[in-house]
Amino acid sequence: MTLPVTGVSPEQGDLGPPGRQALRLFIRNKAAVFGLVLLAAIVFMTLFGSFFYDQDPSRIIARPLQGPGEGDAPALGTDYLGRDVLAGVVNGGSTSLTVALVAVLLVAVIGVSLGAISGYYGGWIDVALMRVTELFQVLPALLFAMVIVALFEPSTRSVAIAIGLASWPQTARLTRAEFLRLKNLEFVKAARASGASDFRIIWRVIFPNALPPLIVSITLIMGAAILFESGLAFLGLGDPNSQSWGLMIGLSRQTFLNGWWTVTFPGMAIFATVLSFSLIGDGLQDAFNPKLRGR
Amino acid sequence: MNHITARVAWSLGLILAVIVMCFTLIHLAPGDVAIVIAGDSGAGDPEVIAEIREDLGLDDPFLVQLGGYVGDVAQGDLGTSYRFNEPVTELIVTRLWPTFLLVGTAVSFAIVLGVLVGVFTARRPESPISHGVTVFSLTGYSMPVFWTGLLLVIMFASNVQWFPVSGMRDVRLEGNWLEEWIDVAHHLVLPAITLGVIYLAQYSRLSRASMLEVLQSDYVRTARAKGLAERRVVYKHALRNAVIPVVTVAGLQFGQMLSGALLVETVFNWPGLGRLAADSVFQRDAPVLLGILILSSTLVVIINILTDVVYRLIDPRIRVGGASQ
Amino acid sequence: MEPLLSVRGLTVTFGSFTAVEDVSFDIHAGQTLAVVGESGSGKSVTALSIMRLVELGTRGKIERGEILFRTPDGDMIDLVQQSEDAMRAIRGNQISMIFQEPLTSLNPVYSVGDQVAEAVILHQGLDKDAANERVLEMFRLVRIPEAEKRMAQFPHEMSGGMRQRVMIAMALSCDPKVLIADEPTTALDVTIQAQILGLMRDLREQTGAAVLIITHDMGVVAEVADDVVVMNRARVVERGSATQIFESAAEPYTKALLASVPRLGSMAGRDEPAPFDLVEYQS
Repeated sequence: MTLPVTGVSPEQGDLGPPGRQALRLFIRNKAAVFGLVLLAAIVFMTLFGSFFYDQDPSRIIARPLQGPGEGDAPALGTDYLGRDVLAGVVNGGSTSLTVALVAVLLVAVIGVSLGAISGYYGGWIDVALMRVTELFQVLPALLFAMVIVALFEPSTRSVAIAIGLASWPQTARLTRAEFLRLKNLEFVKAARASGASDFRIIWRVIFPNALPPLIVSITLIMGAAILFESGLAFLGLGDPNSQSWGLMIGLSRQTFLNGWWTVTFPGMAIFATVLSFSLIGDGLQDAFNPKLRGR
Repeated sequence: MNHITARVAWSLGLILAVIVMCFTLIHLAPGDVAIVIAGDSGAGDPEVIAEIREDLGLDDPFLVQLGGYVGDVAQGDLGTSYRFNEPVTELIVTRLWPTFLLVGTAVSFAIVLGVLVGVFTARRPESPISHGVTVFSLTGYSMPVFWTGLLLVIMFASNVQWFPVSGMRDVRLEGNWLEEWIDVAHHLVLPAITLGVIYLAQYSRLSRASMLEVLQSDYVRTARAKGLAERRVVYKHALRNAVIPVVTVAGLQFGQMLSGALLVETVFNWPGLGRLAADSVFQRDAPVLLGILILSSTLVVIINILTDVVYRLIDPRIRVGGASQ
Repeated sequence: MEPLLSVRGLTVTFGSFTAVEDVSFDIHAGQTLAVVGESGSGKSVTALSIMRLVELGTRGKIERGEILFRTPDGDMIDLVQQSEDAMRAIRGNQISMIFQEPLTSLNPVYSVGDQVAEAVILHQGLDKDAANERVLEMFRLVRIPEAEKRMAQFPHEMSGGMRQRVMIAMALSCDPKVLIADEPTTALDVTIQAQILGLMRDLREQTGAAVLIITHDMGVVAEVADDVVVMNRARVVERGSATQIFESAAEPYTKALLASVPRLGSMAGRDEPAPFDLVEYQS
């Protein structure tokens, strides 16, 4: 996982020629562009879908468990109560995306700060912070998040915090590794020699150069957070008052054998969302490291 | 060996830290467990509540409660379940075996098949199958595991009834041990595939990448220059080097697999730890949750140490230095 | 005398790129031929072509030419026409090869003794014990001290010079007729280089094998070579005996290669090194 960006001078960061070259490579990658389009479509559906398909997902509108095209059923059928599955799919993304976004912000803040401090200062600070990281790494993430959510009542906020708390160690480790790699390079020494403060060296000199792998990692964690949120919602540990793809599947667990559409379509929405992040992350990885292409 | 001893010592400290953290967390949680235990009938009666609090030592200072709990755990006593009114240790131990069976099967399936696919495609990097691995790894990773499980049930337990829909045993079955085993194996197929397919997707890609790299290495060229048959070059000289990253990653992912197992067990009504955890969450059965958190963290720690040992067995370069990462 | 190995009109391509074009040379038993050139001149690809490893490990293709090899029975066979099975019986047995970087050329996860024994077991049909005896004998031949103890070691536990000795022991373990050495001393310290070259010279005399040495270093050529072939940009540009090349190289490219080697006594009368002479040459 070492990335050859050592030649980048600090002030150029992600804006200089390497960033532009990465962008060019990214745009040429069909799978990555597909991922981007897919994500854009999902975000659009989530934000504006209800203008085009104005149906209340919580209202009972027809006989329960009618498949697509049966009787008076809507396009994607009805669930075990007779609610519109398509309306659920259209409206279910907002919770997932909001939770994932907040969780990932939390991951980035905690993970990057701790990793940066750990890698930059080294010594006992590094040892102490890495032991804390290890502590969070041995706890199975979903189980840990479940307990947090259950104890502090399920809400969009508690779910996002739980996912963030359970997911940051990976980012901390990656940031630390990047800082360890970068901190002894010439341009950092030069900045230090010219009297820059630690704060400036960490955030203005090293951090921009550590960005490429972090961006890749954060993109992939975004997908993982969506899976995480839908898993919790499936178990019934989401905000009970919100619409969520995972919750739709969880609620249909007893009846899905009588209506495949009640679980298949919400699941496809989750799958498509996560896939879009995977494709984008993969494309970014290739764009930042052309040598590793196809691996 | 010194290194392993040091790791075991450090791991014990780590588990202690897990216990302290989880205990504190549960202690901080709002709500009164006494009310939960008293249930619908007793919750209104202050005397019942007071009695329960007295019994559980809930009125003691926090550190006293924590100290008592750590002491009990050290003796293998994880307390008593609020809901089942049974010792947590027994409750967990009976659920441990199904989870082990599920995760173990899924992981073995993923590693063995993943490495085989990786080797096969690394030798034909431009073949359609090789490109298929890339697609498969991305889709496999992106599917929510509970959804995969439900789809497999719809396809293979409902449309065609090749496998049972859920559970681990057919309660109607009265046969000898062999028939019972076959019955369990029959129930195991779909859950194990559901859980394993995610990791199969990842390990196929990972082992293809590492195999591609190893096949370009100088020592593979040396092996060929020796006159060895290509099969021996690949399976003796290349494979052992190529599985090193797969073993490392698989070891590190054990915690993640337990999380996945939790969802799969819920889908298939598999009587393991995950089901117990999911049920206990809704009952706010704190002793059971604490016990499961502690036990699963301990398992993760043990698996990490085992991975380290296996890694050292495969790669002699690590045996001397002693530094892992 | 008939050559032991005769490369005739060899042309090797990688896609649209021609790495070796119309290369010919002969190697005689007991002689050392040096193929000289800078990196990218096609000399390593030539060596790998003789082993027929360009098609196996890389994407190269032998387009034209013959590689005639005199088998121990006295027949001349064309290696280019041999099946993969037939080649496997020749590789490491009648023609063997050592490489530039002994650390990466040995498998990190097996002991060096096992790696040498593997070739012996394969080609000589010995059992494990007999093979280990043979390995011990070879380790002593290449002057590895404490040979018995060394056999159980892994490559990372040895020094660069010792590893290259292991590679040579491996290459010579089945008494090959031809030994190909691709930059065998480039990755080593200067003092170790001299030891390894000395060892190779002694072993050639003891075994009577023909040696094809690939190098960019005219110093190495001066140490060991009888004949020299100079390659540049996939082609042979000059050939002759080592003496001829050193005394009266005709090609500017060869002169440029020669000029890059400091001569003994070149510092006489000077206090510090002078910049290298610039040599004019057009390809």
